[in-house]
Amino acid sequence: MSEGLWFRAEEWAARADELKADGWRAIDLCGVDRLGLTDAGNRFEVVVQLLHMDRRERAVVHVAAAGDPPTVPSVTNLWPAVNFMEREAYDLLGIHFDGHPNPSRILMPDAWEGHPLRKDYGVGKVPVEFVPQPFLQLDAPGQATTSEGAGRTVDRLGQPEPGEDGVSRPDGAMAPSGAITPNGDES
Amino acid sequence: MSVDADRIVSGFESDGHGAFVESYDEGERMVINMGPVHPATHGVLRLKLELEGETVVRCEPIIGYLHTGMEKECEDQNWRGAVTIVTRMDYLAPFFNEHVYSLGVEQLLGLDVPERGRYIRMLMAELNRLSSHLVWFGTQGLDMGAMSAVFYGFREREILLDFFEMVTGLRMNHGYIIPGGVWEDLPDGWEDAVARILDVLPGRIDEYEELLSLNPVFLERTRGVGVIERDEVVALGATGPIARASGVDWDMRRDAPYECYGDLEFDVPVENAGDVYARYLVRMAEMKQSVRLVRQITERMPKGEFKNLDPKVTPPDRSELGRSMEAVIHHFKLVTQGFAVPPGEAYTSVESPRGELGCYVVSNGGTSPYRVHVRDPSFVNLQSLPLMVEDGLIADLIASIASIDPVLGGVDR
Repeated sequence: MSEGLWFRAEEWAARADELKADGWRAIDLCGVDRLGLTDAGNRFEVVVQLLHMDRRERAVVHVAAAGDPPTVPSVTNLWPAVNFMEREAYDLLGIHFDGHPNPSRILMPDAWEGHPLRKDYGVGKVPVEFVPQPFLQLDAPGQATTSEGAGRTVDRLGQPEPGEDGVSRPDGAMAPSGAITPNGDES
Repeated sequence: MSVDADRIVSGFESDGHGAFVESYDEGERMVINMGPVHPATHGVLRLKLELEGETVVRCEPIIGYLHTGMEKECEDQNWRGAVTIVTRMDYLAPFFNEHVYSLGVEQLLGLDVPERGRYIRMLMAELNRLSSHLVWFGTQGLDMGAMSAVFYGFREREILLDFFEMVTGLRMNHGYIIPGGVWEDLPDGWEDAVARILDVLPGRIDEYEELLSLNPVFLERTRGVGVIERDEVVALGATGPIARASGVDWDMRRDAPYECYGDLEFDVPVENAGDVYARYLVRMAEMKQSVRLVRQITERMPKGEFKNLDPKVTPPDRSELGRSMEAVIHHFKLVTQGFAVPPGEAYTSVESPRGELGCYVVSNGGTSPYRVHVRDPSFVNLQSLPLMVEDGLIADLIASIASIDPVLGGVDR
């Protein structure tokens, strides 16, 4: 077994609270898939690197993510720094974070299926399809804005891509072509 | 469409400055998509902005356009081969990526690095910090309208890249720092090459400061812009020059020394204003400290081995391959299969030009990494962008992005 503290998912929120009160700061968070190394129930875990700047100490915390889907409580409210990192662990390993303010994919396209860093996810076996979709989906998860939809204009700042190529995400976050009219519809 | 000259002239007179300002309803919000293809986003960063007139009300960074699954690819390489993957993450600071990964593997193996190897690593790291900060200097200046900054910055960076090429054979993505030391010893004449760099660079850095530090336009665009407080920096996990410009006195080279940084003398520049100008001052001072460090490293460079010669990790020298069949077999086995690393996990970190660069490696006892996770400072630092830019102008947003100095290759990995 690895060194460091081990917590069950149920106790993680309370223990994180204590650690934060003690002056620890979460510097890194990532997920690990231990398929084949351990029994099936303990397959996923979240590894948090802590830093105490006054004492100049470091510590590592493992949180077992049990269940299907594997779930642990989010600690974004304690350490806002882990916001992106928890989204990354969800995106790449499918670990759910209970109470995360924006539980959406961060690196992979929103429409992606599967979680590529899982050990049972093969490399190079997934054909990549580029599906054209409306330019800016304001209603899609992770993209919703706070104000109401009425009376807004959608436009883009910056260079349009030459032709239909350029930097486009497979979920069609960039418009394939054409001008953009108010309310995000394509002309 | 013909231009109505009279209308332009009358508009000029009525507005006083010649522009047709179209009125907008108070409270009407516009959603603007900035990037991913935009010269001021330093790569393929996309920002979804909610604007009221010219004021940014909300800003959401959207990333992932450069994601190529490098962490997954590392799992397909052997321990030595993964160096060539991690070096491509933060492409402006490749030596740091190799360094932090190698430190992790060495920790798992319990492998020592000879002193000369450590000094070579520090030499390359400090020169790399300079070349990375020079790109930041150029782009920060360029985004503020100082076109000459980008020419000067890239001109001096070229001298450093020439040195990297002389040592490693490549200008970028070197794969030079490996578990156990460095790949090759420094070539003949490296002292002269470093001496030439040290002759040129300090004067040039002073020149940059003359160019920008007291430039009224630059001051106007950077002072009091993109302010972030000390508590906010700590909460959002930002590290490196961003944290030090907000009064967080933390540099891992001094506070958690790795390699031989404990033997060297240098200062950690800290500012308290937390604005774009403070981040500018910190990085300029850091460049001077790096010059100071390179000077000390050159003077103290020890003799001896540059990598650990443990036969379990290091293949025999090429000169032996023609003489000994054992050496051929040994070499072949290490190159094709690689070395095995005992089961366990390690988290190591170094002070990269952008902050804490961490690497978490897990081994299951095999010849390839079971999991490699890189904590890239650009990825984490980007979280503080919304706080810097909200309730500011779009023009100030450009200044703030440049002052974060994100490298999207590292953000998306």
